[in-house]
Amino acid sequence: MTDTTSTLAQSVVPMAQDLFTAMVDGEPGLLLPMEALEEPITDPLYAWVDIVGPAVSRTLVVTARETADRLARSLLLKEDDEPVTLEDVQDALGEVANVVGGNLKAMMPEGSSLTLPVVEHAEPSASRPADHEQALLWWGGPILIQLWTSTNGEDL
Amino acid sequence: MRALVIDDSRVMRRIVASTLKGLGFEIAEAGDGRAALDLLEAGERFDLACVDWNMPVMDGLELVQEVRKRRDWRDLTLMMVTTESEQNQIVRALAAGAHEYLIKPFTPDALEAKLDMLGLLPQKELA
Repeated sequence: MTDTTSTLAQSVVPMAQDLFTAMVDGEPGLLLPMEALEEPITDPLYAWVDIVGPAVSRTLVVTARETADRLARSLLLKEDDEPVTLEDVQDALGEVANVVGGNLKAMMPEGSSLTLPVVEHAEPSASRPADHEQALLWWGGPILIQLWTSTNGEDL
Repeated sequence: MRALVIDDSRVMRRIVASTLKGLGFEIAEAGDGRAALDLLEAGERFDLACVDWNMPVMDGLELVQEVRKRRDWRDLTLMMVTTESEQNQIVRALAAGAHEYLIKPFTPDALEAKLDMLGLLPQKELA
């Protein structure tokens, strides 16, 4: 793992927990780090932002549609049984990727910029496995955050 | 007091608008800088604009620069609400004419504290 990846990796859990405490749950302690996923995420949604510039990085957030629905309800102040649209879910999960990735940008070289979030049912293409991944648990639903970094011009 | 919340994320607009409504603001929303400029050019008047940085069509920094070119909009208070947390970005935004800067993620209390510093809390005006 490069120094850049290591620095970013150490910030993922506190950054994600800050986000959920401040803007999703309104209280700390509901987003918990896990050693690894216990089983693959079913019906996954993928949200990512890239940092481009002197170095390149991608932050990818993966979770099940069910967990993404819950996240959207929470962020949009909807009741537990209230339906959410795919647009709601994409917006919510995209903003999670945006806030986590955006704050990681502060640790990248000056002159870096952040792309707009992309949310898809399909995993983004990558030339290699993630440099770092962190599994999290929120209300019983797994959330996976993966990071890629490149400081030497190679593709992610 | 009227506030314009500008962010391409509907979730983020909801979060900012919900806090501002609770503080007594009347809210309008725009999904990018161009849409915000359209509202202003149509004659809508606001006391506060909360401006995201990274947006499609026209980003927040460009919007701040455009607003500051217009003398008739000089009373509009501009607050960046963004994930852009580097010191040089904060300096760029303030130099372009933003009055305050709030980094995402933020709590409702943090937003209220910024408004208090700007003298824009409607409840306090009534007190």
